[in-house]
Amino acid sequence: MKAIKYIFICMILFTSCEQIIELDLNENTSQIVIEGNITDQSGPYFVKITKSTPISEQNNPPTIDNAEVTISDDQGYSEMLEFIGNGVYQTKKLQGVSGRTYSLTVKAESKIYTAQSKMPELVVLDSLKIVTSTFGGEIDYDFIPVYTDLASIGDHYRFILSINGKQMKSHFVLNDNIDNGSVNSQHLQNIMDLSPIIGDQVTIQMQKIDANVGLYYATLVQNTDTGPGGGTTPSNPPNNISNDALGVFSAHTVQEKSAVIK
Amino acid sequence: MQQKVLAWVGLLFICFGLHAQKNVTISGTIKDGSTGESLIGATVSVEELPNTGTTTNEYGFYSLSIPPGMYIFSVSYVGFADQKERVNLSVNISKDWNLQEGVTIQEVVVTAVKNDENLSRSAMGTEVLNIKEIAKIPVLFGEKDLVKTIQLMPGVKSNGEGSNGFSVRGGATDQNLILLDEAPVYNASHLLGFFSTFNSDAIKDATIIKGNSPAQFGGRLSSVLDVKMKEGNNRQYNISGGIGLISSRLTVEGPIQNEKSSFIVSGRRTYVDLFAKLSKDFKDSKLYFYDLNAKANVQLNSKNKIYFSSYFGKDILGFGTAFNSNWGNSTATIRWNSLLNSKLFSNTSLLYSNYDFNIGFGGNININSNIKDINLSQDFSYYYNPKNTIKAGFSVIHHNLTPTTTRGTEVQNIKNSRKAIESALYFNNTYKPNEKFNFDYGVRLSMYSLLGGDTYNIYNENSLVESKVLASGEIGKTYLNLEPRLSINYRITGSSAMKLGYARNTQSLHLLSNSTSGNPTDSWIGNSYNIKPEIADQISVGLSKNFFDNKYEINIEGYYKKMKNQIDFRDGVDINTAPDIEKELLFGIGRAFGMEFLVKKKSGKLTGWIGYTLSKTERKINGINNFDWYNAKQDRTHDLSIVGIYSLTEKWNLGATFIFNTGNAVTFPTGKYEISGIPIIQYGARNSNRMPATHRLDISATFEKPSKSRYQSSWNFGLYNAYGQRNPFSIDFRENTTTNPGKIEAVKSSLFRWIPSVTYNFKF
Repeated sequence: MKAIKYIFICMILFTSCEQIIELDLNENTSQIVIEGNITDQSGPYFVKITKSTPISEQNNPPTIDNAEVTISDDQGYSEMLEFIGNGVYQTKKLQGVSGRTYSLTVKAESKIYTAQSKMPELVVLDSLKIVTSTFGGEIDYDFIPVYTDLASIGDHYRFILSINGKQMKSHFVLNDNIDNGSVNSQHLQNIMDLSPIIGDQVTIQMQKIDANVGLYYATLVQNTDTGPGGGTTPSNPPNNISNDALGVFSAHTVQEKSAVIK
Repeated sequence: MQQKVLAWVGLLFICFGLHAQKNVTISGTIKDGSTGESLIGATVSVEELPNTGTTTNEYGFYSLSIPPGMYIFSVSYVGFADQKERVNLSVNISKDWNLQEGVTIQEVVVTAVKNDENLSRSAMGTEVLNIKEIAKIPVLFGEKDLVKTIQLMPGVKSNGEGSNGFSVRGGATDQNLILLDEAPVYNASHLLGFFSTFNSDAIKDATIIKGNSPAQFGGRLSSVLDVKMKEGNNRQYNISGGIGLISSRLTVEGPIQNEKSSFIVSGRRTYVDLFAKLSKDFKDSKLYFYDLNAKANVQLNSKNKIYFSSYFGKDILGFGTAFNSNWGNSTATIRWNSLLNSKLFSNTSLLYSNYDFNIGFGGNININSNIKDINLSQDFSYYYNPKNTIKAGFSVIHHNLTPTTTRGTEVQNIKNSRKAIESALYFNNTYKPNEKFNFDYGVRLSMYSLLGGDTYNIYNENSLVESKVLASGEIGKTYLNLEPRLSINYRITGSSAMKLGYARNTQSLHLLSNSTSGNPTDSWIGNSYNIKPEIADQISVGLSKNFFDNKYEINIEGYYKKMKNQIDFRDGVDINTAPDIEKELLFGIGRAFGMEFLVKKKSGKLTGWIGYTLSKTERKINGINNFDWYNAKQDRTHDLSIVGIYSLTEKWNLGATFIFNTGNAVTFPTGKYEISGIPIIQYGARNSNRMPATHRLDISATFEKPSKSRYQSSWNFGLYNAYGQRNPFSIDFRENTTTNPGKIEAVKSSLFRWIPSVTYNFKF
């Protein structure tokens, strides 16, 4: 909620200081992480298998390079993915199609992990609208992906935002809880870490995702939105992979639009 | 169930009929002689009958029935000089008393007051706040605040630094019943929780009851905070006020009918935004709140009195035209006190309470939520004989709850309001069989009925079972609960007493909040087909002892509380936009236990208290933490507060508070991973970590020059967080993008360090 952002800024007026501290965290629970994506664009599609690491470590997670990874669909097609290095496995022939349900099976470290995701019906992204507002002397940019939501309720959208080709590290989701079936007018929220300037090119990728994947990303947004006084109690987002694996398996359609900040 | 009811009703009547002797009654009102304010809880005792006495009720009324004779009556109240008078009691008489305030601490008369009332009262877990004392306790921004003072009592915990939200004996913030002249206040804080809605200039008396409330109170699991507004001076006109760094106050009071009736109007407004406006960047910002309290009473005749009281408060937060929001409570109360005969006191109340939240974005989108109550209640106090005081009555509340609704030119998300009737019937008897024992027992029958006008979905897990359309005028599900209450006081010796209590409380309104400290956007929801009344059973045991002529008082209380039908949310739910929030709710149980220690010094140059609580509170919710027990977020093992007020000279008073508490139970990361290039934090078991401990010292000094003239003034200087401790307000986990990409760091935010304050108070 955008109100929270304003309230948060008010809190900062009171806040006297921030400090980086050392905490004694319970960090001995390395877990398997599986990330798989299938889109309606042409392949190959990738599945990446890694393990979680302590938070203070730099980005070099251990990878799992000897897993057996299979993807099948509800039309009887099945294929085993090829290992290409660094924990990544890729498809050979598979072509993602809207309406099909895909199943992922990963055999790794003598455990079997399964996941399912249905690629939803395509929603076309018509344009990216940028609106400005002023707060405290600074210009604030808001991004509105313009698309027409489907008539049925339960549509979920995920967005990846890049500025001048650099991907932003925030999660963005929208759904049709409000305003089902109409042209979207909701802003992307959770944009506090962005400060684009005039002339920047903003690119937005819209993924139409299924309900489980929608819940996964919505929970991630909540975890990062601490808000005044601490926000929601964070948790590992509910995902669609069995056997307590972290990560998500998502079959989605992809649309992309760009705009320049004027 | 029926047998239980019969057993209770049987018990209720056992104690009557024992004293059929012909008694005569003395009754009346006890008042502050200089202002005419009635005194609540003043004691009346009879020197010739050592075990006979009574205390005034919430309207200052007392009634005592004893055999005819010549007696010396003694009337006393904390901070006031005793008054004694010989009265020949042959027929029923009415007698009012005017007590004079004990001016300075040297005054022996005041300390001579029989100060061991705490030992003979059966009320458990109850603290009465002295509003005058509050003024000397240092607080944030110098804004004296009764809720923050209550948070210094054992068993009561603040939600966080500067926060006005509080948790009592392991309960949640929404489990406190906060009453202002009997009307419920649904959001008792201003400015994101930093200030309470209670302007202490307009407050006469505040009592907190930590779970063992008598049967006339009900509707919340954890506590009752009963706040009474001043009535106004009925002898002379007064203007008083204060000018502080961030707010100013003004109060006007005076008689309507001399010595009979009065009025008071009190206002307060903050002006933080005036400072913000000095900066060019924030010149369009609005950030303030105001409160207005008004009360009047009219004496119709010697037996009937009518009180009107109302409160109106609002928070305004906005930036130019882009964003505007406001929220606030309004309450209104009409009460009619009637003395039906010298032993039977009646009060009829009609109450209105409204909490409203509005937020608007540039005229395009408006978000609103609201709760509106209309309440009729009738209470009788029957002073049957010196051994039995009976209270009985009923209350009917009509609730109208509007969940968060969005209206806009492009966006619409309109939800129906839900209506319900919450009613209660109660009976309570205070029974003093002899000087050793005091029993307080009663029962409350509470009912909650859904009224038509909306569709109620019934879910099993999270799949829809049935959609029930309740037509307007139709009555849906009714929940019925019987709540027994009992407390026993046993006076072991002249200076010590033991207490035992049991109470069941139920709660039919629940605050939908998934943030730690609560937001003004949080809205209330009532029982439904899925949401059942929350139920808490609490047993408590206590020991009180007074030392050194009642100068020192020690109270130790232990409690164990079991809670049923506790509510939480599924992960990832947006509580404001979910199509039907009921689908996203999770239910479970809770338990809380603890020990509370309180040592008080009640008189002398140095007064104050040390409060310490050792406690635990846990939840077990189906759908969270694998249905295992976990710490509730308000769980804090240790909680210590030390309050001292020292009268240095006649002019100078010093005050200091020190607090130490274990950090809240929180969920910290256990690792991290990446999804599409974005670092993601991995979490372990819910609330299995702790925020760092908090400790802080606040100091203040009050200068009051005794003045013979009508104009009186005082200065109050304060320093909050005197040694500048960086207490954790929140801890965020962020990627260090500059020097160590990929590395996630814990960033602690602290709010207030060395906040000075100065306030000038005046009265004429």
